Amino acid sequence: MALRVQIDPTDPAPIWRQIEEQVRQLVGAGVVAPAAPLPSVRDLARALRVNPATVAKAYQRLCEQGVLEVRRGEGTFVAAHVPRQDEARRRELLAGAARRYVAAAAGVGASQEEAVTSVRAAWADGLAGERGEG
Amino acid sequence: MSGSQGEDGVGGWVAAFSGSTVRYRRRLAVDGVTLKVSRGQVYALLGRNGAGKSSLVRCLLGQQRLTAGRALLFGEDAWASRPRAMARVGVVPEESDLPPDLDADTLVAWCQRVYPRWDDARVRQRLRRTGVPPRTPVNRLSRGQRTQLALTLALGHGPELLILDDPTLGLDAVARREVWDTLIGELADRGTTVFLATHDLAGVAGVADRVGILVEGRLALDEEVDALRARLRRRAAPAGAPWQALAPMGILSCQEALGGVEVVVERFDDALLAAVGGGPLEVQALTLEETFVAVTTGQAGGGAP
Repeated sequence: MALRVQIDPTDPAPIWRQIEEQVRQLVGAGVVAPAAPLPSVRDLARALRVNPATVAKAYQRLCEQGVLEVRRGEGTFVAAHVPRQDEARRRELLAGAARRYVAAAAGVGASQEEAVTSVRAAWADGLAGERGEG
Repeated sequence: MSGSQGEDGVGGWVAAFSGSTVRYRRRLAVDGVTLKVSRGQVYALLGRNGAGKSSLVRCLLGQQRLTAGRALLFGEDAWASRPRAMARVGVVPEESDLPPDLDADTLVAWCQRVYPRWDDARVRQRLRRTGVPPRTPVNRLSRGQRTQLALTLALGHGPELLILDDPTLGLDAVARREVWDTLIGELADRGTTVFLATHDLAGVAGVADRVGILVEGRLALDEEVDALRARLRRRAAPAGAPWQALAPMGILSCQEALGGVEVVVERFDDALLAAVGGGPLEVQALTLEETFVAVTTGQAGGGAP
């Protein structure tokens, strides 16, 4: 089974952290449902062409945080009840994403007002899309 | 830095070079190389053609005598302990050393008799999966099939250490991918320690834990991949920005880019960047290929002991 995770070789974060963050985001956004199975360490390592130890480390950290759980002999699954993310960590992620967006907006010469309007529009679209799918 | 490092070579590291030097007549091929391969690690040895990669590999295999220094395998001298050590090692040499007129079936049967711990079912399953025909002589296999056969045979006796000398050399993109696939599968199953020389930087980038870069026989860099990503960074700055303020991070290169300058530093520091200020600018890590180019063209390094 595929998992929408992508390694960015120019991202300064270690690969295990990139995997950890992306899986957490997929779970947090509900793209991967609670209790859904995840690809095995071996399959995800092959798909991403990374060392299995790297994937194992990401999975292990997510297990410790209660995002994933290992069922012996069955594999790795999203936890039935994913705990809320640590508040400080959540703010950090949000601020990081905002910085990247501001850089992109400045790159196309957008004013602050235009950039904020764009976020509002994307937010409305995104929520509408989720309702449409659900 | 990685885990424990036992000095006896039993618990901590499985292979090591210490002041290793190889001289061929008047040419110095390897010049005082010191490095260690920890148990469970994937160590990638990089370098341009003729940088000394194959010489180092052959020293470890006990096929090349050192002019000075030591090469240790499982804590013992690699040259003296070769017959004992080879039972614990799997090897894929740069040029195939498989008998050209034998087929895969015959080679597998032969290996099974030689190695007490031979995993025949696994070997045959791997050959089927990678499409190596059982009855075709080695000299009529494609280069990719020959490499898969060599790699599968090298893994058949469950080696503690896998030594590969440029396993993807001369292979097309599909065959290269299959080699990395097989290797990733082995790492998932057994966590085998790997020491490999390679030119396939894109292929090895996600797989290696640690890289060494040889430049004209000397080890110009020896560092964990995660540490490299953390310290070698590229920063785009708009034209006129005071990029000189980044100097404490060690500026490796500074090039004019579209709409500004692109600065590469060798000791990135979040606090220093924050102190310099400068708005929401992208800071990127160097890819392994960019790191390799920077080191071999003499810009970066400093990771070697």
